[in-house]
Amino acid sequence: MQTTFTPEQLTDPGIKRSNEILRTCVHCGFCTATCPTYQVLGDELDSPRGRIYLIKDMLENERVPDEKTVKHIDRCLSCLACMTTCPSGVHYMHLVDHAREYIEENYKRSFSDRALRWILAQILPYPMRFRVALLGAKIGRPFAFLMPDARLKAMLEMAPKTIPPVSRNDDPQTFAPKAPKKMRVALMTGCAQKALNTDINDATIRILRRLGAEVVVAEGAGCCGALTHHMGKTHESHATAAKNIKAWHAEIEGEGLDAIVINTSGCGTTVKDYGHMFRNEPLAKEAAAVSAIAKDISEVLIDLLPKDASELTTDVKRGDMTIAYHAACSLQHGQQIKTYPKDLLKRAGFKVVEPADSHLCCGSAGTYNLMQPVISKQLKQRKVETLEAKNPDIIAAGNIGCMMQIGGGTDIPIVHTVELLDWATGGPQPPALTVEGKRTPEVPILR
Amino acid sequence: MEMPAPNTAVLSKKAKIVERLQSVLPKDAVIYDEAETRAYECDGLSAYRCPPLAAVLPSSTEEVSAVLKICHKEGVPVVPRGSGTSLAGGALPTADSIILGVARLNDVIETDYDNRVIKVQTGRTNLSVTGAVEEEDFFYAPDPSSQLACAIAGNIAMNSGGAHCLKYGVTTNNLLGVTLVMMDGTITELGGAHLDAGGLDLLGLICGSEGQLGVVTEATLRILRKPEGARPVLMGFDNNEVAGACVADIIKAGVLPVAIEFMDRPCIEATEAFAQAGYPMCEALLIVEVEGSDAEIDEQLGLIMQIARKHNPVELRESKSSDESAKIWLGRKSAFGAMGQINDYMCLDGTIPVSSLPHVLKRISEMSKEYGLDVANVFHAGDGNMHPLILFDANKPGDLELCEALGADILRLCVEVGGCLTGEHGVGIEKRDLMVDQFAADDLENQMAVKDVFDPTWLLNPSKVFPLASSESRRALAIAAE
Amino acid sequence: MTPKTEAELADAIASAKTPLRIIGGGTRPIGNPVAGEVLSTSALTGIELYEPGALTIVAKSGTPLSKIETALSKENQRLAFEPMDHRALLGTTGDPTIGGVVAGNISGPRRVQAGACRDHMLGVRFVDGTGTVLKNGGRVMKNVTGYDLVKLLTGSYGTLGVMSEVALKVLPKTDTQATVMIHGLPIARAVKAMSAALGSPYEVSAAAHMPGDSPVTMLRVEGFEKSVAYRCDQLKDTLAEFGEITVETDPAKSAKIWSASRDVAGFHNAEGDVWRISVKPTDGAHLAGKLGTDTFFMDWGGGLIWAVVPAGTDLRAKMNGTPGHATLIRADEATRAKLDVFHPELAPIAKVSAGLRAKFDPKGILNPGLMA
Repeated sequence: MQTTFTPEQLTDPGIKRSNEILRTCVHCGFCTATCPTYQVLGDELDSPRGRIYLIKDMLENERVPDEKTVKHIDRCLSCLACMTTCPSGVHYMHLVDHAREYIEENYKRSFSDRALRWILAQILPYPMRFRVALLGAKIGRPFAFLMPDARLKAMLEMAPKTIPPVSRNDDPQTFAPKAPKKMRVALMTGCAQKALNTDINDATIRILRRLGAEVVVAEGAGCCGALTHHMGKTHESHATAAKNIKAWHAEIEGEGLDAIVINTSGCGTTVKDYGHMFRNEPLAKEAAAVSAIAKDISEVLIDLLPKDASELTTDVKRGDMTIAYHAACSLQHGQQIKTYPKDLLKRAGFKVVEPADSHLCCGSAGTYNLMQPVISKQLKQRKVETLEAKNPDIIAAGNIGCMMQIGGGTDIPIVHTVELLDWATGGPQPPALTVEGKRTPEVPILR
Repeated sequence: MEMPAPNTAVLSKKAKIVERLQSVLPKDAVIYDEAETRAYECDGLSAYRCPPLAAVLPSSTEEVSAVLKICHKEGVPVVPRGSGTSLAGGALPTADSIILGVARLNDVIETDYDNRVIKVQTGRTNLSVTGAVEEEDFFYAPDPSSQLACAIAGNIAMNSGGAHCLKYGVTTNNLLGVTLVMMDGTITELGGAHLDAGGLDLLGLICGSEGQLGVVTEATLRILRKPEGARPVLMGFDNNEVAGACVADIIKAGVLPVAIEFMDRPCIEATEAFAQAGYPMCEALLIVEVEGSDAEIDEQLGLIMQIARKHNPVELRESKSSDESAKIWLGRKSAFGAMGQINDYMCLDGTIPVSSLPHVLKRISEMSKEYGLDVANVFHAGDGNMHPLILFDANKPGDLELCEALGADILRLCVEVGGCLTGEHGVGIEKRDLMVDQFAADDLENQMAVKDVFDPTWLLNPSKVFPLASSESRRALAIAAE
Repeated sequence: MTPKTEAELADAIASAKTPLRIIGGGTRPIGNPVAGEVLSTSALTGIELYEPGALTIVAKSGTPLSKIETALSKENQRLAFEPMDHRALLGTTGDPTIGGVVAGNISGPRRVQAGACRDHMLGVRFVDGTGTVLKNGGRVMKNVTGYDLVKLLTGSYGTLGVMSEVALKVLPKTDTQATVMIHGLPIARAVKAMSAALGSPYEVSAAAHMPGDSPVTMLRVEGFEKSVAYRCDQLKDTLAEFGEITVETDPAKSAKIWSASRDVAGFHNAEGDVWRISVKPTDGAHLAGKLGTDTFFMDWGGGLIWAVVPAGTDLRAKMNGTPGHATLIRADEATRAKLDVFHPELAPIAKVSAGLRAKFDPKGILNPGLMA
């Protein structure tokens, strides 16, 4: 499209980048076809093309963002299905991230909005604080109906029934491989995930060790910054990201790293973007180095997991279990990893099915299910319907957010893909398969 | 691009109009804030923009009728909009008009495999119609390249085609019935799951009428059983004449391929750089696809290759697997995206008699040099529909105008050799002024008289299709009636 | 009046002050009776352009259909919509013209797969009721420039204009054909079988059912020899559950079955009025039994019912609101005047039709009242 930025405006690197992106958009509208909010709302303004248009107008004219523009951009899930669909290669993610930053800096939100966003930014990235909040939510859950704000209500309703105890596996340490050493990797233990679920990291560490990886939990690493980044709070996101960059870079420079393994695809997308995020900052080189070796767990396992399933030792008749694979947006669109998790599950001997419209977001999208409960709920319903239509024994996903979202809408047990792979290679049965209130799948055993 | 001046009387009563619209639609279905109407200021032809007075998003035929009644009473022009993917500016508003978007009408109403029809609300996307019948191995045939996103409503308005229309026809050949809302709000039905019109073929008239005769909210469409299989063959030639002759020979031999796509050298080069599909670097490339059982495909491809060999191709590649098929199609399908990565481009849509392809390509090449703008050509060789892609720079002053002038000359050439201005995109605003090159004044008057019958007030998408000068007196009626 | 050129045609109409009865070859007197001076297009003859490699033929409207078919046959091509020959059914003589075919949207059994005449029309030149020469469409398949008046004129029975020239898409003739026949099916089963066949990937190009004491359900398969053999075998498998199946593999005999179906040969000597009903096939299955006549024939997979009834019967009333339409093809003038040859339209549609006729023919002289 034609853009009208002045040369002065273009001296700002953020604007310069956004101008490049805007120029690649030809306004063809293909992106509307795969945008979950456009599916639900049918309004051009809630489609990527419409948002691109709003952002363009806002940035070109240096407008003070108005309530309506902010509303439509807030409604974006950042699922990035549009990027997968776009025939012109528009980097929507960078554009909307820039727009969120601009809005955060130039728009005065309502007090309740500001308060809510502040609270989320202060709690979610900090596991200890998050655990306390979850406990409070657990207690407050029966009173959810009293909450005047739909979003607060949504938060209370989303609190899990059980909060796991802190896992010492998430402390900084090095885990030795249990097979001849093939590689040395850092595991990102994350933030929100480990407060909600410690099985995922435990399973990840087990399988990596079993297949020959030395796993280090780096000292000083923590939240990747995705949550605050998607709220436009780039100061905060860069601050936490910088900690990670330094922590992992120290390991790279120290004993060396073959990969930084991330098992929450939402975070993986952000870590892979560190190079871009920090391109104009002092940590540029280190950030690029970190991004270069950031990998989703499935990308690492595709090389480590034996190709022949008969090599796997377990007495579980995996071929009799139907796994519905839920493709997290951050994984399939953000990182363009579409087949590895399915291939891995098949290699491990499971029967894999996919729901219809698998490209559509489940509505979790980071804090979206808290900030946009109405749309999130509609998307959750659609996703659950398509998953249940396949009649699976288990649902597998590569992202904690999806697991929480979908888990709250179905009684089919939902686990992380890595937990199933761990189980198939000799690990314990995933705890999530025997949980009160969920269907317990029949686990067929080889006699 | 000249657009009529907005009706100031309508502009001055915007608040009243918005209020009335809000009384018949849910709150979030009326968009009138300047910050928001901007997103509706253009469609896929983003060079021309004008925010509408308001945009409405009805969810039912009844709501569409209520909206039209109000606009009829208040003298407000209405511009219907599907997914806004038109490349001809079909959904471009004027400042006094309402955009009537049908995106919220996207249900499947009924699938009927015994009678081989599906009834849908027209805001549904083209590809999702096939999506609704895929599990039973059926498909909806017209497949414009934008089928992922374009709406059936737009397909009906423009009588859209696609690569498969050589065998299966275009939208009008696959449309069996519609629910039509007329400008005064009257809801009526044409056709249905039965074949042929009982009287005048008004359904055939509505299809391709670019939203000027009524708003179609529901459509009964023909669905077909998927063929057992399909496979393409790729051919490279070192000149265009030979490629054209090969196409003619294939057709004369009695083989009816399901698609015949042509790409010229500039297109091949740009596409190959982007998609690395392994295309030969030659003057002309053909992809011919046939359908049937494996044995039938083999037989047809055998015949086609035999014919192709007589024309000394520089490359002849038959697909033997679905992976190879995908590889052969990969380049063609990424062609426009590839162009978009290099440059801004304008995609033309003229049709020519297939026999004049070599002459037209020669002339286009000459004109391209005269104007100093590169042109790459994609061509539906089976039916003569050309898509010259003129490359330009939207941010360079004067380039757009230059591009349009070259485009107009190319389209005039199409008419000159016995073809027409537009094969599938429609006239919209883009080719309005060229209508006089294809039609005599009497012919245009005859078509406008048809609109007089459906929409005497000329409020439905009034500034499209006909040159403004031709439609002026009729559009003035609408304003005078105010 | 028999104008020899388009200009003469225009003059004739421009100067006409009283109703005109437009005919081509005069072989299809379908419609409400029209009293008027006969204007024939039979002198407007000649193939203007024929490009086999482009699948295009352009001819003056009065060109005999036979001449066109001969020219196409020489290049191994044909009009895929296989227009019906009405002469035997209606007891008329003369030479059908291509203009008449277009004016009546005359098609045949292959319509169910290949489309009707209107789906093969590329362009028209015509003279409207004021004597103005007009054109729409052109000679190319993909054409969305302006309104599609080509479709409007096709099947308009000369009430909107008199065509002087028509352009059509032609298709290659197929190598050979065969007919798969299922014997002994009652109507409901027959329609089910035809649905299964038309819904199969084996490209059935016609599906008809002849009821009676020895009912036979017929499906045509056309194409290259091996392909036809393969597809017939596949159809036999797919339809095995329906009953006894035989296949007519002799292409000449198969062709005869279909030309007889096309021309509704069975009714040529039947006494009574002939109606032509179009409904969706599953409705056809129900409706056929309620027509109160045993003399009927189903084409288009059950979506087209030809029925012979005692003279003066209002068969349309038996439709009882079933969506579709019934056209009175053969009846004496009195009946046609009384019963409306064409199916009454919904009020808004009737209004539009009347409005269009008023625009195209303000003097009301072109076959006035023929359609409504």
